[in-house]
Amino acid sequence: MTRKYELVYVVSPEASDDQVTDLHNQVDAIVQRFSGSSIEKTDNWGRRRLAYEIGRHKEGTYVLEVINGTGELMKEIDRRLKVTDLIIRHLVVRVDETQAVIERTKAARSATSQRRRVARGLPAERLPGEGQRGDADDDRDDRFDMGNERGMDR
Amino acid sequence: MNGRKSFGAKKGGRGATGAQGKDGQRRPMFRRRKVCKFCSDKIDDINYKDAKLLLPFVPERAKILPRRISGTCALHQRKLRVALMRARQLALIPYTAE
Repeated sequence: MTRKYELVYVVSPEASDDQVTDLHNQVDAIVQRFSGSSIEKTDNWGRRRLAYEIGRHKEGTYVLEVINGTGELMKEIDRRLKVTDLIIRHLVVRVDETQAVIERTKAARSATSQRRRVARGLPAERLPGEGQRGDADDDRDDRFDMGNERGMDR
Repeated sequence: MNGRKSFGAKKGGRGATGAQGKDGQRRPMFRRRKVCKFCSDKIDDINYKDAKLLLPFVPERAKILPRRISGTCALHQRKLRVALMRARQLALIPYTAE
């Protein structure tokens, strides 16, 4: 049963670019070992500041890998990353189900909007330059106004 | 429908503030109806990788902004919470602030 996973790992800032590529190759090697699995996408976010210190590190290199594979594969990758000293943090998330849900909501929304537009006698797709709610002069963002937060006036 | 309501109401709110300045009388403060950012902007994917999207929901103390204040709907607050917790694990957003 292949599923889609996202793997993000944070490499120590001391690591050179070569070491980062080497880590990617290590992950790739594990993926290759399991038949039917593949790396769909790799994305190096580059060096970023960490929101908090991990160990004594204040920065880290983030790498995202989108992997098609089984649970066993991800377990193995997880285990390997845990014992790799150069990796200071990593996260594996399964994404296929959530992505399917997102696509379904998007499709449902556009279908509803098209149906309503047709019912109002408009063309199904929004014409360029046609106004919509977000285009109004509502530029003041007071969504997070904290004043009077408990709803008490006096 | 909700959006339209809050829209008209807000314009009224602005007018009221102006009137207050003129006659100097206290009027009950108008509070704009809070709307869920994710519903109104039609953001389906509350992603843990998108720190820019999540950051408005972590005020200075780095706690998660409650629904009561942000106006996020229950469904999206649940999704937001998961995304925030994942982002915290990756040190994209802080757990605490000293």
